[in-house]
Amino acid sequence: MGLVIAAIVLWALLWVLNVRLANGPAAHRPAVRLGIPVIFGLTLLIMWELIVHGLDVPQVILPAPSSIAARIATSLPILWQDFIQTFVKGALSGYVIGCAAAFAVAIIADRSDFLRRGLLPVGSFIAALPIVGTAPILVMWYGFDWQSKAAVVVVMVFFPMLVNITAGLQETTQMQRDQMKTWAAGYWSGLWKMRLPAAMPFIFNGLKISSTLALIGAIVAEFFGSPIVGMGFRISTSVGQLALDMVWAEIVVAAISGSLFYGIVALIERQVTFWHPSQRH
Amino acid sequence: MRSIFPVLTVVAAILAFWYVACVPMNIHAALTNAERGGAVVTPEGAAARRDMGAMGLALSNTAQWGDTWAQAKPRLPAPHQVAVELWETTVQKKITSKRSLVFHGWITLSATLLGFAIGSVAGILLAVGIVHSRAMDMSVMPWAIASQTIPILAIAPMIIVVLNSIGMQGLLPKAIISAYLSFFPVVVGMVKGLRSPDQMQIDQMRTWNASRGQTFWRLRLPSSVPFLFASLKIGIAASLVGAIVGELPTGAIRGLGARLLTGSYYGQTIQIWSALFATAILAAALVAIVSMLERGTLLRMGFRR
Amino acid sequence: MKHILTGAATALALALGGPALAESHGDNSVTLQLKWVTQAQFGGYYVAQDKGFYEEEGLDVEILPGGPDIAPAQVLAGGGADVIVDWLPSALSAREKGLPLVNIAQPFKTSGLMLTCWKDSGITGPEDFRGRTIGVWFFGNEYPFLSWMSQAEIPTDGGDDGITVLKQGFNVDPLIQRQAECISTMTYNEFGQVLDAGVTEEELLTFKYEDQGVATQEDGLYVLEENLEDEAFRAKMVKFVRASMKGWKYAEENPEEAAEIVLDNDETGAQTEHHQIRMMKEVAKLTAGSTGALDEADYQRTVDTLLAGGSDPVITKVPEGAWTSVITDEALN
Repeated sequence: MGLVIAAIVLWALLWVLNVRLANGPAAHRPAVRLGIPVIFGLTLLIMWELIVHGLDVPQVILPAPSSIAARIATSLPILWQDFIQTFVKGALSGYVIGCAAAFAVAIIADRSDFLRRGLLPVGSFIAALPIVGTAPILVMWYGFDWQSKAAVVVVMVFFPMLVNITAGLQETTQMQRDQMKTWAAGYWSGLWKMRLPAAMPFIFNGLKISSTLALIGAIVAEFFGSPIVGMGFRISTSVGQLALDMVWAEIVVAAISGSLFYGIVALIERQVTFWHPSQRH
Repeated sequence: MRSIFPVLTVVAAILAFWYVACVPMNIHAALTNAERGGAVVTPEGAAARRDMGAMGLALSNTAQWGDTWAQAKPRLPAPHQVAVELWETTVQKKITSKRSLVFHGWITLSATLLGFAIGSVAGILLAVGIVHSRAMDMSVMPWAIASQTIPILAIAPMIIVVLNSIGMQGLLPKAIISAYLSFFPVVVGMVKGLRSPDQMQIDQMRTWNASRGQTFWRLRLPSSVPFLFASLKIGIAASLVGAIVGELPTGAIRGLGARLLTGSYYGQTIQIWSALFATAILAAALVAIVSMLERGTLLRMGFRR
Repeated sequence: MKHILTGAATALALALGGPALAESHGDNSVTLQLKWVTQAQFGGYYVAQDKGFYEEEGLDVEILPGGPDIAPAQVLAGGGADVIVDWLPSALSAREKGLPLVNIAQPFKTSGLMLTCWKDSGITGPEDFRGRTIGVWFFGNEYPFLSWMSQAEIPTDGGDDGITVLKQGFNVDPLIQRQAECISTMTYNEFGQVLDAGVTEEELLTFKYEDQGVATQEDGLYVLEENLEDEAFRAKMVKFVRASMKGWKYAEENPEEAAEIVLDNDETGAQTEHHQIRMMKEVAKLTAGSTGALDEADYQRTVDTLLAGGSDPVITKVPEGAWTSVITDEALN
């Protein structure tokens, strides 16, 4: 129990440090802004390590962070192959296709009010189909390789994107649209010069939500049949082999790549929508 | 109400496309069955047909089209097959029967609602903490985002096993997974909502000498309600997915998730599709209920007239 | 807020310490974790429960169905079960990974694993697997296949000379849809599903692991080594094995009735009578000839098969103490 108590004491100490930092004079410096979440994350990791050792939790239930780190260090090539298969081939391609398709449909729906009223309710119904049901069907249709995983991702990201783009295109006021008309702008130039830029905060909101969905979709889809490479494949087989350190190594890779993906989208958003009130700090 | 006609049109178009799609999707199996039954199809032999395009096969064997809408285990079941299966497993079976989708739906729903309750409460509390404590905001928020990149769906089975090992059984482990998926949208929406009052309103509260607590209860919390409801709609749909995934590893005992899974073990495509639709109907109903609550609450609070 | 968080951490810490406290071997309850969903493959246990064989021994048995993502050994390690049904290869692999599983009984004498191929693919023997696509189950069930291939010196990393391996889901779609030339099937389950899909036996070619001389022991009963040191636990297992074997023998003689019992226990309502009766009859062929005691020659053959695994063997050294006859010696005389 000593280690567990040590873990809790440590938690309290680092939390006090974080409160000091956040409310202190240096809170706005980039180093501190980055440091605070890092300290918080380290706290969690150290507590995890101490609690696992302190309570003698079996390795096959929950491995310690140190053994996960050791596994990552020794299996970099495997992790890299899995990352390429699942993230680059499955998730990214599906993400691009899904977002592009949603954009095309949103434009069509935008041109026709009738279609918009018809498509959105049906679309929301289709979006409610759970991935665990659609994935086996898509594997049956598109085979075992990354194509079926991309298809699952397309189905997953399509609807959130469609809703956000459609909402974004409604964003401008009648007065602004009339103003464009008085300048003799047609539908496309009005879309391009005014309505799309105005829709950007919404579109990026959709892109951010979809970025986390895409990776998860690709990983889960691999549970229902895959070649013998990929993050989902590795997670499911390693559980069966009781190589829990490998399972967690893949989870770490998934979390890092998913967070980076989200971060990159958020950075682009900041460049594109610098004028929006939500970006003021 | 103006949406009914457009929706029906879209649905009709989808159904028509679906029926047409069944032909190429199921033609390989239809031809193989016909050949076993002694009919003459072109070309002969399943191996020869294996790499041929389904479209070409469908066009050169129009006689076999009927079978593509009536197979027992089709690649793509025809709409009426799914509808009949849904009807039989919801209306014609006793709801206490193990073969009734209503029975399985109820099992899933109970885990969903419990998870949704846990997730929403946790999300709201976390959001309040984030808004009121700078340290929480700076240290927890990045990790809340990172937490959503962990493929919880993929490790759900393992989590259930681990929770079982510490004596948590039955509904709770499923509800925890469903809570994990629903808390994030609630946190994001609530943080936005609690920060939505502008500086002028907050200054106004100060001039009235309001304490932090009063500002929270009388200004921040009411302003956050519209945001909260928008997140709850996303959250409840996420809870349902979480509950279904949580059912997969519990030995596929009961619930819509178990139906999906056993359907896929035995290649019962019609069963999979009917369970899928049952899930989507359930999700649509849950979101509709939240929307109704939203409308009523916002009317009463004066957000809408 | 801080208090809430530390409180939660403490609660979690206490909860994780649960397994040590949850297990007590003094009572008469036994939890059995199956390897797969409720089906006739486990008919003997359901019969023993339904017919009151466990009750006669004074046991209160709970049977937990498994599923595609449940590792029985993990459940056992977590204290969620007292005894599990598992295959010997994955049990030996777990043992080498530091989870001391011990086989206490072996109700299945012969293996039901086989590869089922399309005859028109031109495959006649294992050598023809080169350059083909074959569906294999993973999750601990891949060991027999990988051992067999490394003995035959056929690589499993694709290309013209090797096999392209697919991680097969748990149905026969890849074969029916011709996404693979061969898939893994069990004599008592998936093979029947292929036939149900309208395929005739003449169209198929099967390779039974038994016939290839690479069979491994399936569906044995395993417990944790440390529990075996406890006398009360041993006594409980003796009763459990005795009653289970009685259940198995009853199921062998009355397959229809046993299948009905299994169907009554299936909570999903997805199983069909026709499929379960056929499965029960096929499983009876595998349990026939087993008293429940592990045959050392069979065990040795499994170990040799696994050790022969070329560059990437399933186990790297000869396992010690991976099985015991203590329970069956007492249960079966």
